[in-house]
Formats: sequence, C-alpha cells, structure tokens
Amino acid sequence: MKTDQQAPVIDLRALTKRYGIGDAEHTVLDGVNLKIEKGEFIAIMGPSGCGKTTLLNILGLLDRADDGDYLLDGTSVESLSGLRHAHIRSNQVGFVFQNFNLVPRLNVIENVALPLTYKGVRKTKRLQAASKMLANFHLSEREYYMPWQLSGGQTQRVAIARALVNDPSIVLADEPTGNLDSKSSHVIMEELSDIHKRGNTIIMVTHNPSLTTYASRVITMLDGRIDTDTKVPREPVNKIDTTKRRLDSHKTETEKAVVIKPQKKPKAKKSRKKGSK
Amino acid sequence: MRLLIINHIENAIESLRNTRTRTGLTVLGVTIGVASITVILSLSGGATKVITDQVEELGGNIAVIRPGTALQPNRIDDITSPMNNAYAASNLTDTDIKRIQTLPDVEAVAPMMLISGSVRADDTAPANTPIVATTPDLISITNFPIHDGQFIDEITNQDTAVVGSQLSIDLFGTDQSIGKTFKIRGKSFTVIGVLKPLKRPINYNNVDFDHAAIINLDSGKAFNQNTVQLQQIDVKATTKEKLPSVLSSIKKTLDETHHGERDYTLLTGDDLSKPTSQFFYAVAATMTVVAAISLVVGGIGIMNILLVSVAERTREIGIRKALGASNGHITAQFMIESLAMSVAGGFAGYVSGYLIAFIISRSFLTFDPLFSWQIAAMTFGVSIVVGTLFGLYPALRASRKDPIEALRQYH
Repeated sequence: MKTDQQAPVIDLRALTKRYGIGDAEHTVLDGVNLKIEKGEFIAIMGPSGCGKTTLLNILGLLDRADDGDYLLDGTSVESLSGLRHAHIRSNQVGFVFQNFNLVPRLNVIENVALPLTYKGVRKTKRLQAASKMLANFHLSEREYYMPWQLSGGQTQRVAIARALVNDPSIVLADEPTGNLDSKSSHVIMEELSDIHKRGNTIIMVTHNPSLTTYASRVITMLDGRIDTDTKVPREPVNKIDTTKRRLDSHKTETEKAVVIKPQKKPKAKKSRKKGSK
Repeated sequence: MRLLIINHIENAIESLRNTRTRTGLTVLGVTIGVASITVILSLSGGATKVITDQVEELGGNIAVIRPGTALQPNRIDDITSPMNNAYAASNLTDTDIKRIQTLPDVEAVAPMMLISGSVRADDTAPANTPIVATTPDLISITNFPIHDGQFIDEITNQDTAVVGSQLSIDLFGTDQSIGKTFKIRGKSFTVIGVLKPLKRPINYNNVDFDHAAIINLDSGKAFNQNTVQLQQIDVKATTKEKLPSVLSSIKKTLDETHHGERDYTLLTGDDLSKPTSQFFYAVAATMTVVAAISLVVGGIGIMNILLVSVAERTREIGIRKALGASNGHITAQFMIESLAMSVAGGFAGYVSGYLIAFIISRSFLTFDPLFSWQIAAMTFGVSIVVGTLFGLYPALRASRKDPIEALRQYH
C-alpha cells in the first residue's frame, strides 16, 4: 500500500462508542484521538473492559463508531459503502481474534485459506499459500486436522496464520499470544515482527507486558480513553511508561528470560536476546 | 467472479455434505413435487401424442366435424362441466352427410352415431359397450385391420355387425365369432366381421373400437326413432393438399343448412387431439395444481432448513465477513446452497417421475409417457425458480447480519 508520508494510515478523531440506551448506556470509547503511521507496531494494553477490543473492531471496520471520525488512508470510512468495507477487510486487514474464531466445520488448511477465497484466489493456489503460512508456524503436520483436534496453542497459531495469509497491510491482533506458553508466544511474535519489518502496520492488544518489547509504540487505555502513549525506542529503559514498569515488576523468571530490550527499530532480530534487566 | 462462483459451489457442497440427513430430506420434498409434475406432464403428453400420431399416420387429410362449439381445453371449470353440450341433442344429421359427400375432393365421409343401449349374447352382457352406427366409409378413413370376415357394407343384410376383438371375447369367449348373434335392445345382430386388436383406447373418434360393436347407420336410425343424431362426422379429402379447400366448402355447406349458425366444430391436425382429451386435460391441470402445491411445500422445506442453517452458522458468517466476505458473497453462498438442493431435487424428481410414469403406463395404460425437451426444461426451470424464490429470504437474512453481533453469538 502506498500512502504519502503526511497522511497517517489510521487517524481517529474523538472516536466515541456507546452500548445500551438510556440509563443503561455505557460509553466504551470516550473520544479517542489516535494517529497511527504506516509501519508502526503498536501494543495496546489496559485492564479488561477498557475498550481495547471495541477499538480494534472499529479499526477493522467490523463495528462503527457512534461519534467521531475514522480516517483510513485519509478517507473517512463512514463515507464508504459496505462493499468497500468488505474489500478493505479482504485486502488490507488481517484479524486475529481473542477467541480464535476458526470455522469449526473446516479443517486447518481450509480455515487458513479462507480469506483468500474472497480475494478470488484459485483453490490450489489458496491451499499452497495456506500450507506455506502454516509451515511458518510449525503446523505443517496439522494441516488436515479439524480445529477441535488442536491444542489451544495450535489453534491460536492457526488463527494467526489465517490473519496473515492475505498479506495484510494492517494486522489487528486481539491477544494473539493470550493462551500460549512463552516459547510459542515467541514464535508468533517473531512472525509478527517479520510482517512488521516488511512495512506493515500491526496493532496488537495484549495483557502480557513482556510482548510490548516487540512494539514500536505502547498505548495503555483506561476507561475508554488513551492513558499513556509511548513511542518505545525513544524512551530510556528505566523510564518506560509507568504502567508497563509496574507490570514488569510482577513478572516471573521465565517471562523475564524472554523479555527483550526494546530496539530502536525492531529490525535486528539477533541482537534481541539481551534481557531487559 | 467466475472463480468465486466455483468457490461458492465447493463451499455449498461441503456444507450440505456435512448435514447429509437433513439435506436429503429437504431434497426429497422438492423431488416429490417435481416427480409429480413430471408424471403428469409426461403422461398427458403421451396421451396427446397417441392421437397426433394417429392423425399423422392417416396422412393428414382427415377432418372431423363435431356438434356444438369447441371448448377451450385446459380449463379448470371443465371439471365441473366437462361437456357443456352433453345433454343437448346433436344437430348434425344425415342431410349433412349427404351434402358433404357430394362436395368435390371428398373421398369418404363417415358419420358416427353412438347408440345408447346394452349388448347381450346368450349368457353374457359386457357393460359399457359403445355401439357405433356408421357407414362402410368408416374403414376407408380409419383403416381398421380386419381379423376375420368383413366390414359392414351396403349389400349385406342390415342386421349385421362388426365387433371389436375384446368385445368378441367378452361376448362369446372367442375371437372367432363370425355368424354368431347377439342382441342390442332386443334386436338380433349377426357378426360378419371381427376387428384386430387396436389397443388404442384414446383416439380422435372418442370410441374404444376394441370394445365396440359397429352397426349400419340405418339400423342405428331405427333405434333412435328414425332420426339421425351424429356425434361426429369424419371426412377424408383425396389428398392432404386438398384438405383446406374441402374444409372451406364444408363450412360453406354447413352454414347453409344450419342457417348460418356455427353450432358445429371443424377440427384438423393437432386440434383433433385437444378436444378429444379435454377431460384428460382438465384432470391434468388439476393435478398440476396439486403438484405445484407439493412443490411449494418442498420449497418451504428448503427455506426452513436454510434458516436453521443460517442460525447455526451465524458465527461462521461473522468470521467470513471479518475475513473479507461482502454481503454479496454471503448471499451467494446461501443462494447456491438453496439452488443445489432444489436442482438436485429437480433432477431426482425428473428421473423418479419418469420411473413412476413408466410403472403407471405399463400397468394401467396403453401408451408410453412422452419424452420431450420441454418437460426436461420445465422441471429444470421449476427447480431453479423454487431454489431462487425460497433461498432468497434466508440468504438475504444471512448477509445482513452485523459481523460484530454475529461474532458475539455463543461466546
């Protein structure tokens, strides 16, 4: 995707989302202003119910905001038709859901190939691409398993493989490593940074602070607002935003081992294993 | 887009295969509807074809005059009054015959007068025997094959009769019945000829000659208080090319004798088969309506099962939308599932319809069901229409689901 440097890929202006009506009304997103440039790797953190998932859904054009503007590539999405939205989801956005959301009656490779269907890719090519993507996640021998035959970690990896198969310019990941052990998390984060290095934008929601080290920018949310917004590489290690440091202090030994010192730009994969302390 | 359609078809077949029993039962609903339509169309087509074939066999130079005005075939109210002139006396008389006989290019004229009454031999009395009073010309028009003896003629005694092969067996227990006598309304008739089995209960003369007794017109006249009332006059022109001129001269003559009143119907070619099978048409029309109802029921079955399927796969719809499926894709997916079921039902119905039609025709009827591309096209078209009509609502409903709402289901 070619965008001029001036216009951010994503530009949110006073975005507001409410659920319920009358007394039961609940504001999930309360005037969120956010600019995301092309090629950023953003980690969104925050307590449950602070609107992270809703924000991600709106970014992925699955949901619509009640107020405010969402400009994607300089165009307000409100002005686009439902068909355009579908095209954007098909060609530009890759989704990793919190609860995997694999189609239960399709096997692993068909699930991964599913996004390509709507791009009109021929079946053989589709399966080839899916197979290649699964190999990246060490799932080659699980290609013809059904989703319910996989372990939690494998399911999550399949879900991520599916999000990446159509080579999206924006990857939206809702806790992509939420259910994984640190080793599997690492595999996934490596893959995400790989995608990131190819110039794609990644927006990831996570509860695991150690993963924010892959990110180029960490946003914490609280009660539907952006609490802190830190461009990681510019911060000294000991001055990383308070939320993150607070959470870091509760880490276990194993997690510490995986945590990697933030890089200026996450391009050098080899130099990562330094440890944060 | 072509590729996407292939994708959708693969997808639809896959999802239908996953719910085999339910799909099978739904398809069965359409199958029954289409099968009944196929049976009705093929059998009524077969019956019509029998007559048109006969007419063609005769060289296409036959015209038929019937009393009364022609009814529009294929009308439902024909059921309640199949022949609205059934109780009126016929206004075709022997004067008409004589006048038509003198017209140029007319080769033969055969009147047909149906006599009411029963036929009785020594100890047998077959019911429902048609008694036809006619002239010797009839055989030159219909070319009846004679099994034994001769056809009625002018020379022999008036009280002679020709019997159909089945009537001969019913009356005398044999088809060698020359010289034997039987009684019509107490009057004795001697059998001078026996027809070969024709096996044509449906024909343009409206008489099953296998069961009929054929007597001279004069004898018939005697049974009817010496007046002639004809049910039909068969006219044969010398050649096929002369038929139109014969027709116009017949019209002219009859208009004269009937004082300009069009109280007769002149039929040729394909028209012959229509009024002949008028009642048949009416029955077929009613049965088609019944079959259409069963088809609608089958269609509702499709709609029902698709709605269940949409509800079950709400989440899948949400996932697909999130992965880039447009509303059109979702609509197409379910429409193709609907069409796959209805077309499969249509095909199965077409095949089983012909099986049933053959079983019926071989065990109860004397003709075979008709094979024509029209019937195939009709069943195919009907199943497409059913699939589209009843698939549209579930498909649109599926496509309009909000992806977020859909994904939230069954969390």
